[in-house]
Amino acid sequence: MINGWELVIGIEIHAQIKSNSKLFSSSSTKFGSGPNSQVSLVDAAMPGMLPVINKFCVEQAVRSGIGLNAKINNKSIFDRKNYFYQDLPQGYQISQFKDPIVGNGFIEIDSEGQPKKIGIERLHLEQDAGKSLHDQDPKFTFVDLNRSGIALMEIVSMPDMKSADEAVEYVKKVRSILRYLDTCDGNMEQGSLRADVNVSVNKPGEALGTRCEIKNLNSFKYIHSAIIYEAKRQIKAIESGENIIQETRLYNIDTGETRSMRSKEDAHDYRYFPDPDLLPLVLEDNWIKKIKSSIPELPDKKKERFIKEYGLSEYDSSVIVSDKSTSDYFEKVVQDRNPKLVTTWVTSELFSILNKKNLSIDESPIPPNQLGDLIDYIDSGKISSRQAKDIFEEMCETGETAQNIINEKGLSQISDESELKKLVESVLSLNPENVEKYKNGKDKLFGFFVGEAMKLSKGKANPKILNELLKSKLNS
Amino acid sequence: MEFDKDSLYKLGKLSKIQIDDSKLESLSSDLASIIKFIDRLKSIDTENVDPTSNSLDQSLVMREDIASDVNTADEILENAPQNELDFFSVPKVIE
Repeated sequence: MINGWELVIGIEIHAQIKSNSKLFSSSSTKFGSGPNSQVSLVDAAMPGMLPVINKFCVEQAVRSGIGLNAKINNKSIFDRKNYFYQDLPQGYQISQFKDPIVGNGFIEIDSEGQPKKIGIERLHLEQDAGKSLHDQDPKFTFVDLNRSGIALMEIVSMPDMKSADEAVEYVKKVRSILRYLDTCDGNMEQGSLRADVNVSVNKPGEALGTRCEIKNLNSFKYIHSAIIYEAKRQIKAIESGENIIQETRLYNIDTGETRSMRSKEDAHDYRYFPDPDLLPLVLEDNWIKKIKSSIPELPDKKKERFIKEYGLSEYDSSVIVSDKSTSDYFEKVVQDRNPKLVTTWVTSELFSILNKKNLSIDESPIPPNQLGDLIDYIDSGKISSRQAKDIFEEMCETGETAQNIINEKGLSQISDESELKKLVESVLSLNPENVEKYKNGKDKLFGFFVGEAMKLSKGKANPKILNELLKSKLNS
Repeated sequence: MEFDKDSLYKLGKLSKIQIDDSKLESLSSDLASIIKFIDRLKSIDTENVDPTSNSLDQSLVMREDIASDVNTADEILENAPQNELDFFSVPKVIE
C-alpha cells in the first residue's frame, strides 16, 4: 500500500539455461568470448538452415518446472514471435505461445515473516536475442550475435505480489530454486537472469488499474526501486486526472526513474504462429518421471531439515539455505561438529569477511574443511574464541591452515591444570594485599586476578579452567 | 470483408514493406479476397478436432548438448554489408 493505493505486481523472469550449446544450434554459450565468435549459420539465420532442439535444454525446463511445483505438459508447440530488430536476424524469435512446456505451478515466499503462495502461470522455452551496443560509434549500432539463440526459460508469475518487497522475495526464491536445480547460474550481473515487472495500482475494493511493464531489471535493488518509482508515478498521474496507458517502460539505473520505451502507434503485434520448421515436442511420462527422481533437495525442504537435524533457528536456517553454495558449505563444516558454533562462524565471521572482500562463498579464502579444523580447536578448548578470531583473520590473509598458525605463534591455549595452578599461585603470591581485601569481602577483585593471570600467560590461559582454579584457591 | 487503408499500412509496417500509394487499391482487393477465403475456412466446424500445428504425425528429434563452433567471426560477417571490430554495424537504433 502506498498512500491508500494497492499495488498489483506480476513478474516475467528470463533465465538462461546452463547448457554447453544453444537451444537450436551447436554454438557454444560461453560468456565473454570475442564478438560473433560463437555464431553458427543457424544463429545468423542463413537461408535454408534448420533448427534442431537441444535435449539437455528441454530436460532443464522440465526440471525447473518440477522445482516450481508445476504441471509438465506432455505436448508443447514452438511458435514464431515476429518482430524486426537488428539483434534478431531471423525476424522472429522461436518461443512457445499457446502450448508451453510447463503449465501452472506455485512457489512459497516469505512475506513479512509469513509464508505466502505465489502462483506460476507457465514456463516456456525460447531463444535469447543478440546484443546491441549503441555507444561504440556515433552513427552506427554494433551487433554481437553470440547470445543469439541461447536457451531461455521464461517464467511467468500470476499477479499475486502486493509490494516491492514481495516482488524481490519472489525473484530471490525463483533464482534460489533454479540454482539448486543447477538449471540456471542465476548470475544477474551477466544477465543470465533478468526480470520484467508488471505494475498497476488501484484503490482497495475497486477494479484493477492499467498495468505498465518495466523491462530488463537485472538486480534485486533495481527491481525494488523501479516498482516503487513506477507505482508512485501511476498514483500521481491518476490523482491528477490522467489515464495510465498500457506500455513498456525502461528503468534508468542512474536516475532511478522509468520512461516510456515505445510509442503507442508501434504497439506490438507479434503475429504468433506455429513454427513450421519444428514438430510438436512430445515428452514421455517415463522420461519425466526419471527427471523427477533426480531432483535434489530444494531450499524449503532443506530449511526444515536443518531446523530438525541441526537445531538451527528458523532465521538462521533460512539465511543459510537461501543460497545453495552457502548451504553446501555449511553442511560440509557441520558434519560431526557443534551446529551452534558452526552457524555462528559461518553467518557472522565468514559472511563478514566475504562481504568485506566482495567474494562469493565459492571463492571463500577458507575452504570448509579448514574452517572445520579451526572450530575443532575452539570446541576442544585448545584455543579461545578471541584467539580464534585472530587466527581466522590470518587464515584469510595468508591462506595458512589453523594448525600451522597455532604452532608458529605458540598460540595454543594453556589448558593443563598443573601449569595453570602454578600460574594462579604466582599471581596470588605477587598480590598479597589484594588477596587480603578479596578475602575480606571485596568480590569485585576477582576480575583483577583473572586479568593478571591472563597477562602472565600472554593471553593463553584457558579462561574456563583458570576461573575455576582461581575461585577454589581464593575461597579456600 | 473489406481491407481498409489503415490495416494495410499497419501490415506493411509490421512486415517492413513500403507500400506505394498507387498499389493501395489493387493490394487492398487482393488481401480482401484472401481474408474472404480464410473466413470461408473458418465456417467449418472444428469443435472436436485438435489444432494441427504440423501435418506430420511425428514429434521433435532432439540432439545432445555438445558445443562446437565451426564458424569464425570472419565467416559469419562475410555477408554483412558492413562490419566493424568483428561486430555487425547497422544504422544507429535507439529506443
